[in-house]
Order: sequence, then C-alpha cells, then structure tokens
Amino acid sequence: MSRTYLNLKGGFAVKHGYRSLLTKQSIVMVLFSVSCIAAGDQARAADYSFGDGTGKNEACIACHGNQTKVISQNYIDPKKFGHTTHAKFGCTTCHDTITSDHPAVKPGARTTSCGDCHGDTVSQYSASIHAKNAPCSGCHNPHRVNSSREIAATEMNKQCAACHSNIKITASHAKWLPQTELHLGAIACVTCHSKAENYVISIYIAKRESTGPDTKPTLLTYEELLKYSNGDNLQYLIDKNRDNYISLDELRKFNRDPSNKNIYLKAMMTPVKPTHSFQTFDNRWDCTFCHGSGPEIMQTSFLSFPEQNGTFRQVAIEKGASMDALRAIPNFYLMGSTRNGVLNGIGLLIIAGGMVMPVGHGFLRFLTRKNRK
Amino acid sequence: MSSKMVYLQPIAVRIWHWLNALGIVTLCISGAQIRFPEYVTILGSYRSAIMLHNTAGIVVALSFSIWFFYYKIVANTLDDIYIPKGSDLTTGLFRQVVFYFFSYFFGAPNPHHATPENKFNPLQKSAYLAIMFVLMPFVSLTGILLMNMGPMREIVMLVGGLTLLDTIHFLTACSLCAFIFTHVYLATLGSTPMAYIKPMWTGWEKVENHHDAENSLVDRSQAEHSH
Repeated sequence: MSRTYLNLKGGFAVKHGYRSLLTKQSIVMVLFSVSCIAAGDQARAADYSFGDGTGKNEACIACHGNQTKVISQNYIDPKKFGHTTHAKFGCTTCHDTITSDHPAVKPGARTTSCGDCHGDTVSQYSASIHAKNAPCSGCHNPHRVNSSREIAATEMNKQCAACHSNIKITASHAKWLPQTELHLGAIACVTCHSKAENYVISIYIAKRESTGPDTKPTLLTYEELLKYSNGDNLQYLIDKNRDNYISLDELRKFNRDPSNKNIYLKAMMTPVKPTHSFQTFDNRWDCTFCHGSGPEIMQTSFLSFPEQNGTFRQVAIEKGASMDALRAIPNFYLMGSTRNGVLNGIGLLIIAGGMVMPVGHGFLRFLTRKNRK
Repeated sequence: MSSKMVYLQPIAVRIWHWLNALGIVTLCISGAQIRFPEYVTILGSYRSAIMLHNTAGIVVALSFSIWFFYYKIVANTLDDIYIPKGSDLTTGLFRQVVFYFFSYFFGAPNPHHATPENKFNPLQKSAYLAIMFVLMPFVSLTGILLMNMGPMREIVMLVGGLTLLDTIHFLTACSLCAFIFTHVYLATLGSTPMAYIKPMWTGWEKVENHHDAENSLVDRSQAEHSH
C-alpha cells in the first residue's frame, strides 16, 4: 500500500510504503513544515515582547490561536483561554523556557509546574489513588480551565467519564445504591467523591428527550437558548422582571410556559467547593448524609445559564426556600431533605384526626363503662 | 341471651387482612424513617428502611390486587359488601353515628348485625369504600411510580411531577395511618374488647339472636321507620 502525502505550502511530498512509517515520519515532517510556515508567514517572535506586560499573550495567540498556523495539540482557543485566570498571568509565567527565538527554537522543558501555585491542591491530590493514573492535565486543560461554579455538573461528570465508563459506574453503584440511575443523573460525581462539605442545587436548562434515561441530560448551549430568548440575554428567559434574581413564581411560569415544552429545568446537586481528595468517604455510604441532612442544608440554589464562551453563569434563586424552588421544578425531589413543613403539619393533623376515636371516644367509654355492665 | 356462631370471615379474607395489616404498619414505620431520617432510626440504616418500604409496598399492592380480584371476580360480592345501599345512606349512616357517639355510652347494642352477606355497618361501608377505592389505589399507584422513577419518568411528568406525586403519597399514607388507629379502636367496641377481633382470626363470630336486641333505643327507631 503506497500513498502520497503532499504538503501544499511546504511544497514537498512524502512517500511511504507502510502505515507505521507513515505515522511516525510523516508527523515529524508535517510538524517541521508547519513550523517553517509559521516562521515564514509571521514576523519573527523576537518582534514581540515576551514576558513584559500587556500584549505578551497576543504574541503567542497570534499563532497558537489560529488553527491554520499550528497543529491541533498546540492550538489554544483564544476565547476560552482569555477567560481563565491563567491568562492573567501570561503565557510565559508557565512556559518559562520560551525565548525570543521561538518558534525557530523549540522551548526546553518547563521548570514550572501546577504545584507552584496550586501547592495545597497538588499535595491533596498526590495523596489520592488518582495521582498514579492521571496528572493534573489528565482532567484540567490549563488553557481552558474554569472555576467549579462556571462549569455545569454534567461537564464535571464528563471529566470522570473520560476514564470511568458509564456502564461500569452504573453497575458498581447499583450494587448498593437504590435508584442508581436517578442518583447518578442528579448528582455530580465529586459531590460524594470529594471531601466537599456543603452543597447547592444547581439548575440547568436541558433538552427534553423522549428516549433514554435521565442519567445523561443534554444541556442547551448558548446558541440553542438564543432561539428561545430571541437574541435577548438568556437570563431574561426566566428572570422576567430583570432583577438578577429568580423568584419561585418566575420558575413556575417558565415551567408552565407551553413554548418551553421541549426544554425543562434539570436540577443537580453540586458541591460548593469540590476538593481533590477523590475517594469514597465512609459517611457517603450512609444515605442520611444527604437524605437526613434536613431541609436546612438545601437552602441555596442557583440557575446556571450557558455563556457564549462555553462557561456557565449562576443566578441566585429565591433564598431560604429551596424546597419550594424544587417544588417549582417538578422532577427533582430529595427525600428526607426537601420535605415541606406545611405538608408535615397537614399530615400530622390527619394522623391526629385518627386519634380522636381512640382518645376521645375511649375516654367517654371509660367514664360510662357501668352503663354497659 | 341466646347466641349462635356465624362463619363470617373466609380464610382468604383473613389471610389478606393480616397480611395487609402487617404490610401497612411496616409501611407507616419505614415511611416515617424515610421522611424523617434524623428523628426515626428504628429500622437501622436509611437503605434498609427503603428496601423494607419497597418490599412491603409491593406486597400490599399485590394483596390489594388479589383482594379486588377475589371479591369482584371470584366471589362477586364486592358491590354488595362495600357499596352502601340507599337505606344505608338515608337512615343507616345516621343510625350508626347515633350508636357510636350516643347510645353506645348508654349500653345500647350495635344496631348492625354482621352476616356473611352484609358484613359491614353503613359507616364501615362508606369508610372502607373511601379507603379501598380511593386511598389504597392512590397510595399504591403513586408508590409504584415513585419506586420506578427512571423507567416511568414520562408518566411521572405527565401527572404533574415527582413533588406532586410525593405529596399525594404522603397525604394518603397519613390518612391510612389515621385509619389504622380508628380501625383498631373500633374493633374493640364489641360486647367484649376481643369480640370483633377474634372472628378476624378464627373466622367465626358469636352473634346474639336478633330478638334479644329489640329493646334497644335504636332498633325501636328503626322499627318506627319501617312502619
């Protein structure tokens, strides 16, 4: 089998008889030619001020933010990178061995590491069994990381699913966890598999799909939601009075609106601050860790709207009444914790009604016992 | 006072009754732990409470179905025994209420005489009608949906969502719990506290001959009505 690969811009062809040769050698050649093109098309890197103030990222992004100029591994999405905290520090803070000869001269190995800034996280992570199997970059791409508040719980779970197959996860949880699919669909993995202590209910706008279980909800993207808001700020889809605050009434109205019949509010339990000690903590085997936590812990909920850059933005939902917020979302219910005080009162009254005969009648019966001798 | 023994409760009914009783009490206790796990821990872990609740729920729902099938199809006495007749509604209910809340305290006998064809007094008929045809179906159906949220999601959303289902389940369950207290107490109102409870175990009830009861206030009023 013989194929010819032609690099149009480089103007030379590589011919190989074997696929194995193709993969190794041609990639080297392509890499080489790409760097030649970059060097030829762009002004030399020396023209840019690496490492001194503003504009330093732009110099890098000029090539690395353009898919036609660098290979895919070296491509940085400018929008996503620009949003990260890392961007504020500048490319050369981490890529410290870059010289002004770049790209003609390849940078040597970096002397920096994630632990330089994230020391606590790295030491916490190193102690977990995950550290053996995945470096930081196994889950986090430093050029597009977002804070945990900015990513949807479904995105968090996708990180885990990159190694842990959904089928195996469902099977292993099903050994002990009742309603496995329901649980896995409504909880971010790190809610249990991290030392996080506090939780919030995050609500997303998801597609209503008639097929398949709810374990992998599909959230609507920014572009898809724009159609519903007619180009307006997505938040106003629900926050009708535009006060940056979602009332229960607004939630209910959104649910009842017939034009929203193909979308629904998907509530998930997410940790406020996930930690990197990924393991199963003993208290998580105990259902009452969540179900017995009482309504008090469930008071905070947010609606997460997708942003143009792929992140999510949280808008607060009426506080102190997350139970009622969930009541406005008909498909989320956390037994034991989302119970309603008024309903409990009514239930107690009904049961007390059942005691009227034994107590009231029984008392009169006792007083009049002589009449029945 | 002469009396005779009447075979009131066939074996199938008795098995069903006690299975149901055990099931409903188990459901009330495990249900209490599921709803109030920080206060009720009688069954150990939350998980075991859920498992027990699900199992007891299936048993009660199945026994309800068998009960319905037996009475309606096999014995075909469901309508006669459970649906109040015209006279039950016009005078019977009132007569029974007067007995329970008034004449009972003065020593009058129960105006209703249980026979295999007419086991329940008018008040019982109405109460059981509500329980067996409203509460039990509601609590069972909502329970089945809650237990199978995954596969039955579409139906759940169609009937108004998980929270509404849970509300109906909780309130009907509370009503059944209230019924149990009333039921057990009323069962002790026979000539002796065990007079009504024993037949549910053995099948045979000691029934006083009708003539002995004729002196009662209520029976006289009934006689006046019939004239």
